[in-house]
Amino acid sequence: MSNVVPTVFVVDDDPAVLKGLSRLLRAARLTVSTFSSSQEFLEQLDPLGPGCLVLDLAMPGLNGLELQEALMKKGNAVPIIFLTGHGDVPTSVQAMKRGALDFLTKPVNDEDLLKAVYAAIEKDRNARQARAELDEIRERLATLTPREREVLTHVVSGQLNKQIAFDLGTVEQTIKVHRARVMEKMKVHSVAELVRLTERVKE
Amino acid sequence: MNWVTIIWSMVASACLTLALTHLLIWLKRRQAWASLLFFVSATGTSLLALDELWMMRSQTIAEYTSAIRWLHPPAFLVIVALVGFVRAFLRAGRPWLAWAVIGVRALSLVLNFILTPNLNYSRITGLHQVPFFGDSVSVVEGVPSPWMLVGQFSFILWIIFVTDAAVSVWRRGDRRRAVMLGGSIMFFALVGSVYAVLTLWKIVDAPVMASLFYMGVILSMAYELSYDSARAIKVGQDLQESEHRLELAAEAAHLGVLIRDLESDEIWASNICRSIFGFSQSEPLDLSLLLRRIHPHDRDTISHVFAEVQGGIGNYEMEYRVVLPRGEVRWIASRGHVEFNDRGKPVRVLGLSTDITKRKVAELEVQQQRWELAHLSRVTMLGELSGSMAHELNQPLMAILSNAQAAQRFMAHNDVDLDEVRDILADIVDQDIRAGEIIHRLRLLLKKGEVQQQPVDVNDAVREVLKLIHSDLVNQGVTTRTELAPALPTVNGDRVQLQQVLLNLLMNACDAMNQNGPANRQIVVRTELSDGVGVCFSVSDCGMGVDPGKLEQVFEPFFSTKAQGLGLGLSVCHTIISAHAGKLWAVNNPDGGATFCFTLPVNSETAPS
Repeated sequence: MSNVVPTVFVVDDDPAVLKGLSRLLRAARLTVSTFSSSQEFLEQLDPLGPGCLVLDLAMPGLNGLELQEALMKKGNAVPIIFLTGHGDVPTSVQAMKRGALDFLTKPVNDEDLLKAVYAAIEKDRNARQARAELDEIRERLATLTPREREVLTHVVSGQLNKQIAFDLGTVEQTIKVHRARVMEKMKVHSVAELVRLTERVKE
Repeated sequence: MNWVTIIWSMVASACLTLALTHLLIWLKRRQAWASLLFFVSATGTSLLALDELWMMRSQTIAEYTSAIRWLHPPAFLVIVALVGFVRAFLRAGRPWLAWAVIGVRALSLVLNFILTPNLNYSRITGLHQVPFFGDSVSVVEGVPSPWMLVGQFSFILWIIFVTDAAVSVWRRGDRRRAVMLGGSIMFFALVGSVYAVLTLWKIVDAPVMASLFYMGVILSMAYELSYDSARAIKVGQDLQESEHRLELAAEAAHLGVLIRDLESDEIWASNICRSIFGFSQSEPLDLSLLLRRIHPHDRDTISHVFAEVQGGIGNYEMEYRVVLPRGEVRWIASRGHVEFNDRGKPVRVLGLSTDITKRKVAELEVQQQRWELAHLSRVTMLGELSGSMAHELNQPLMAILSNAQAAQRFMAHNDVDLDEVRDILADIVDQDIRAGEIIHRLRLLLKKGEVQQQPVDVNDAVREVLKLIHSDLVNQGVTTRTELAPALPTVNGDRVQLQQVLLNLLMNACDAMNQNGPANRQIVVRTELSDGVGVCFSVSDCGMGVDPGKLEQVFEPFFSTKAQGLGLGLSVCHTIISAHAGKLWAVNNPDGGATFCFTLPVNSETAPS
């Protein structure tokens, strides 16, 4: 999945601007996909591949903010770079609060735009990687038996085997076996590592 | 000398004097046909009197025969002239009766010279003396001719003609004249005719004395003519007086009077008129001198109006500027009319002029202020739109920048795609033009130029305004629908001001809907041709409408329903549309919201026939 080339999605109702932006991004050797309205974007891209979204704020129909809201509702966390004709403070604050990555005023210099785009792609990549790792941990956790999960909970809370055996009403030897199985299934070599993994899942 | 000679000579000379007086009048005024006819009848009567004297003094039959024969030509003259006089002076009498009288009288004249010895007698046997006015005069003895009846028939016809004429004059309402003239002619003609019958048929042994009776007719005619002359003199005096009063009034009202004779191209101008145009009291004037005083900008218009007026329009009214020799400019209002002769040829132009500089300057100032206010309101409105204007301008700038920087990057690659670069440059050019157009539109609206009247393409103007506020509409989530009638005639007006009105109505429509949900913010812009009115524009919104009691108040200055509104926008719109001879009004839509409409008259030069 991480081998897929990231795409810059550009949504702007002005065909000339759309074309110019697309050219600039292509000149920077980026893969570009353009849409002339929010609706078109929503209809064509579900689910969204890796990359980022360059979005015009003022558009007829669904405007930039409304598209952002729609994506949030879908749980899509693609990084968004907003473009606007005039730096309207309340609007930009609202957009940033909702997690917009950047808010650029037209006309945008190539370096500013590309910097934002690279940052967004990077952020997306990291987010996707983090999500992938998390999924991996969850998958490993899913392979544990209920007893092993109980043991895991006690292990990460820092209890010794003897205490765990006492708490679970069994012998220390049994707990040792369970503990070894947990370490094996979770693919870790130390309790510290195990704690780090479980902490990430809790977040 | 004896009484007969004295009386008849006096009658003849009195009639001749009167005749000559009226001949002179006729020579002075050739249209005075009544005077000429009077001259003829009075001369005839005078000759008649002399002839009668000759008859009374005749010593031989031959002499008397000649005298009685030569009695007829003056009698013919008198009768014909009297018939003509009744027609010309009283404007009465049946034409066929007039011709009958003249015809029968002419017949008797001819018979008089054919028959021997004359019309009246078939044979004259002798003369005898009878006492008359203490004198003795010759009276004929002979056999009356039956042909005499022809002559007497003409008298009967004549009396009928005069009676008929007098009755119609009476009926017309001119009773005094009917009695004075008609009555006296009837009386003297009747008495004279009866007397003639009695003497000629030898029923009474007395000499012929028709001239005395005709003298009566002549005197009443002379009285009537002099009555008319006296009245004419009175009318003339009144006219002079009224002219004088008119002149005083014209002077008091500072009206200059100008009379231009088109045949001689001479111009008479009153003193005020001369001072208005800056001429001295005595210098001779003509049209070219007058035209030279007119402001070069107005000269063509004036020449055109003059040509049109002479061509048969007849009346004119105009306002123009004159430049005095010292460079002072005055505004003049002139009105006048052309007089045509009977053949429809223009002969004279009468004109009144007045100096309206003060009024005009005030008017122009008011207009100037009005346009300045319109401009101010326009600039304020564009200020409100500045955000979206910036956005509108940013679009092409953004496209240009992206394209240019993309090109720079492409050029840095090893494998430069020249086709791509060519496309980019073409796009840059397009977008540069687009930006230029936006700035041009803005500049036009911001400019404080002179108001220009020119044909305006209605739909084109609407589309341009919609382009101008496109971003604002998008920002506010407003959608627009246009229903523009195709092939509309152009209207005459100032494009910028008309667009200002449209812009204002569109912005008001947006404001009216800012409480609506995003799905319910629609504006409909319509243009259509309305019969007899012109082109009708309307802007409908889905807002809360206008309070029905305030549909007219909204156009008053300083009336505003908006918290930050100055209340000038719609009042300025109203002024602009009124100045374009149009109408602006508001109505509430049946399904909510309001519609603002305005009409503009169609430019007549381009109106489809």
